[in-house]
Amino acid sequence: MAKIIVNATHKGGEGKTTNSIMLAEYAALILGLKVLVIDMDPQANFSGRYIPMEYDPANKGGKIPSLHPDYNPDEDLNWDGRSTIANIFFGEEVIPYPTSIPNLELLPSHSSKLQDAEAVTKNEVLEKVHVQLKRFLDLPDVKKAYDIIIIDTPPSKGPLTIAAIKASSHIVVPSQMEQFSIEGIYGMLQLWKQESYSRTKDNPINLVGILPNQVRDIKLHKHFLAGLSKMNGVGDYIMPHLIKKRAIYTEILVEEASPKSIFDLPEKNVARKEYESACSYIMEKVLNG
Amino acid sequence: MAKKKVFNIGNALSTGLEETITAAHNYSGNLRVDIIPITKIETDPENPRDLSITLDDLRNGISATDSDIVRKTKEKSSLETLAASIKDQGLINPIVVYKNGEKYRLIAGERRSLASIIAGCSDIQAKILDVKPTPLKISVLQWIENIERTDLTLWEKLMNLEKIISVFSKTKGLNPVEITITELSTLIGCSKPHAMNYKSVIFGDNSIKEMIKENKLKNLEKAALLTSIQSAEVRENAIDACVNGANLKKLKMISTLGTKKTQNKIVHTDNERRGRQAKSVNFGATKDIDVAKIIVNSVLKNESLSHLSKYFDDIKLDNFKSITDTFKLLIKKLEELHAK
Repeated sequence: MAKIIVNATHKGGEGKTTNSIMLAEYAALILGLKVLVIDMDPQANFSGRYIPMEYDPANKGGKIPSLHPDYNPDEDLNWDGRSTIANIFFGEEVIPYPTSIPNLELLPSHSSKLQDAEAVTKNEVLEKVHVQLKRFLDLPDVKKAYDIIIIDTPPSKGPLTIAAIKASSHIVVPSQMEQFSIEGIYGMLQLWKQESYSRTKDNPINLVGILPNQVRDIKLHKHFLAGLSKMNGVGDYIMPHLIKKRAIYTEILVEEASPKSIFDLPEKNVARKEYESACSYIMEKVLNG
Repeated sequence: MAKKKVFNIGNALSTGLEETITAAHNYSGNLRVDIIPITKIETDPENPRDLSITLDDLRNGISATDSDIVRKTKEKSSLETLAASIKDQGLINPIVVYKNGEKYRLIAGERRSLASIIAGCSDIQAKILDVKPTPLKISVLQWIENIERTDLTLWEKLMNLEKIISVFSKTKGLNPVEITITELSTLIGCSKPHAMNYKSVIFGDNSIKEMIKENKLKNLEKAALLTSIQSAEVRENAIDACVNGANLKKLKMISTLGTKKTQNKIVHTDNERRGRQAKSVNFGATKDIDVAKIIVNSVLKNESLSHLSKYFDDIKLDNFKSITDTFKLLIKKLEELHAK
């Protein structure tokens, strides 16, 4: 049965997407697992890493995925040739995209459709959004096809993030060691707590932990990290691996970057070693409890 | 030199983080709170209902041919206030259900479910139990739910509790009255003094229960105090005071004073009186000269005292003083004798 990891925090710029990328590539390239990545963020950055995205002609500034490689206009008369995770909110079929990494597939974002899904009225949100991703990922075909499913979420506590959390078995919260970020952790822990109340004992939602991200060698970061680690109960959830602020983590996101993945760097590279040990810690917790 | 900078995560945030983690650890898996579609809720057929209007009536509209249409329409309009508040504020307390196949059976929250339908909600927040609870658990859960309702009378509380006690004692094979205070307080999650008050009222005097039923007595502490008064006369007084609005302190005073009076009446039989230990016997006094004569004469004529008769030969028992002097003399002589 596939384990489902969500990277979530409602504050932007904490490293959700970067962390989703690292985990997905670690699982696919290093562990050789069958991986599905899902982009629930209307910004569609995560999708753009793996397939070409196009600007949506109907929604200026929004993005849609390029045509699916399996699409044949002569045969697929009832299909417009694009498939996105947003389809599940509209009762439409979903076809994952292959990527340049052989055992990694993608369900891309669709900006306007995801925004529409998020805009449903309060009375309908449960049935139309909150439970839809879970229903989709619970399908036997989906569960059997992958070892690991990784979901990237928008920087909000809205319906899309809730849907992602409801569908997940594990939560990872990347966070900078700064005031607003830690307030963001608090918000995410509320969602996690709320969701954990709604789970049965055999289907828990596990908080893998808080990953200190973009840490610099400054007093503020050190003191906040030490403060969190000392707190009752909270300390157990601060991952023992931290990610420093390094140019390489953003450089590899550039389109023509080479190498493309941090895991293509030499094994002894400091940055690779740093992220690899964090990924290994997370995957160990996810795969072996 | 510049002051050394120290950065602290604020107190409120730290406490919040710690509490959230603790709360998540304590409750996950035991108490599920989730949002469920109202369409999946059904009432428990084994549970007696107060309302005649049903979930289906609200989902489909009350049928014009329904024999209960008048009552049901009235009930519907009585739910409108609650519906308006749900629409406005949302539901404050989740309802309680247990999973029954695809459906959820109501344990508590029928009015809230009905009002939510009127408010136009399609789903509702619920505490969900995964299996059908025991009858005892159901009645306890209903108790916990009801206790928060402000419109619940003391009588309704007592009736609920009586049900819980009777189910509990049945499962234990006991007589209801045998339930201990500890058991009761654990069962309903209240303090022992509170449980004791409930128990003494439930198994206490019927006239006081009658007053509670008529809603003349609304306070549990007062009811328990009145029940605890043994003397019918004192209790009568206290009940009168209570009906006239006496507070608990006043009632306690009446009860203690009344009880003191009762103690005086039984002083002769009460060997274990408090206070200074008695070191002498007081034979008492009387204003009836004949009674005094009888007592002193019968003592003097007693054969076992014949050896003292010489002291009393010329005594005339015709006035208070002479009788008293005679009795005192008798005691004095006897004391002399026994001292030897």
